[in-house]
Amino acid sequence: MSLTETFALAFLFGGSAFFLAGTIGLLRFPDVYCRLHALAKADNTGLCLICAGLAILASDWQVAAILAMIWLIGLLASTVSAHLIARHAYLSGQKPVEARKEP
Amino acid sequence: MMDDALAGIVLFLILNLVAGMIRIYRGPTLADRMLAALLFSTTTVAALVIMAEWLDAPALRSVALLIVMLASILSLAFVGLPEIAGGKDDSK
Amino acid sequence: MGLMLDIVIVASLIGLSFQSLYARSLFRCILHFVVFGLAMSLVWARLNTPDLAMAEAAIGAGVTGALTMVAFRRLMAISPAQNQSRPSNRSRLALPIALGAGGLVALLGLAVLEAEPVAGLAGMAVMEALPSTGLQNPVTAVLLSFRGYDTLLEISVLLAALLASQAVTQLDDPDPSILTEQPDTPLVGALLAMIVPLSVLVSVHLLKAGSLGTGGAFQAGAVMAGCGVILALSGRLTSSAQPSLLINLGLSIGILSFIGIGLVPLLYGQPLLALPDVWAVYLLESTMMISIALILLLLFTGSISIRRSDG
Repeated sequence: MSLTETFALAFLFGGSAFFLAGTIGLLRFPDVYCRLHALAKADNTGLCLICAGLAILASDWQVAAILAMIWLIGLLASTVSAHLIARHAYLSGQKPVEARKEP
Repeated sequence: MMDDALAGIVLFLILNLVAGMIRIYRGPTLADRMLAALLFSTTTVAALVIMAEWLDAPALRSVALLIVMLASILSLAFVGLPEIAGGKDDSK
Repeated sequence: MGLMLDIVIVASLIGLSFQSLYARSLFRCILHFVVFGLAMSLVWARLNTPDLAMAEAAIGAGVTGALTMVAFRRLMAISPAQNQSRPSNRSRLALPIALGAGGLVALLGLAVLEAEPVAGLAGMAVMEALPSTGLQNPVTAVLLSFRGYDTLLEISVLLAALLASQAVTQLDDPDPSILTEQPDTPLVGALLAMIVPLSVLVSVHLLKAGSLGTGGAFQAGAVMAGCGVILALSGRLTSSAQPSLLINLGLSIGILSFIGIGLVPLLYGQPLLALPDVWAVYLLESTMMISIALILLLLFTGSISIRRSDG
């Protein structure tokens, strides 16, 4: 396997690790705001690493440009969606879970 | 070898997705369940972009671009929901 | 590895479709349905049909998702108890019929796997006649040059569906309830400033790319409709009860131009719908895109026409 392929696979594995972290956060965090936080990581960094890995494998620069555009629009969409959902949850009266205070 | 690795990553992402669907079951409020739709959009985009490289089909990148452009539709539609008794939808 | 992927996708499809019917609350059913649309688009991608994947993604995940969510919203405003009520008249035949259908599909699948691959005669004929149409995408060639009749019927069915839905809804007083809870954050304005020009660009690109690769009128129209739905949901467009000449023109231009261009060859002794040249294909695709986008948007808002909202 050439050096390019090794690098690309490293990026792709890193991206999948962030997606895994996002899912774990989605399942284990205590309330909706923390879960949104975890999802946003998967969206931003996970997608970025995957697009970066595939851009390394790409055959010409147009493909890499489309991948960059997909990531940027994904950033925009996930930011606005997370903000809207959090705002809706807050306005419906959901309070964030308080941190446990050590006695 | 590269093909297998790419296919394996798509498989991993889809398994991630299936695990994330558990939140639709458990999440006590509507907003929690909505998160799964958000996760699904992004994971599908990632899976499509990897499939474009694996199956050598550049058109799939356009499909991914489309999904990511229209991904905020569902959140915009969700936001106008009338509150159901403090946001909790108790269906247990 | 590919086989495992296919098995996981199929299993999740079956699980999702089961859950869209039998989940415990209506909201969960809606989410499962939207997610099912996205999974179908993955299936089409896996089967190497990017045109179908694109159409499924734009319509199933975009317009239909928003439509069901808005319908749920209006239902909740009327009777919030509906979220929990499950239909009680489920027939006892449901399970045997489902199992029978599943068994039939499995039998068909086995038959297809066992069958000898025979060269598709129709496919070979299409590929041979492809250069004469001036297009390079066999899907677009089949849709417009070889089987134009089917596409004409498709656009008429869409228009008929719109007219039927307008006949059933109350049009004198369009219910603007999809817009009462406009999110008043500045982020939505920023989102629109980026997404709307981009969707116009992408849909025009898909229109032109349809002759070379994946794309075409339907996908381009669906992207434009998605953009229109986003504008309607954020309050920039609103339903209106005044019939507008421009909107009506846009709605009918697809089918009218199709019929017009289809009838002209009759004057020259050619068969009906024998398109003269590539320019006819481009013209028909453009007018169909405008019509499809407007039809889908008006199906979403459920009104006669649409106008820019003030303020």
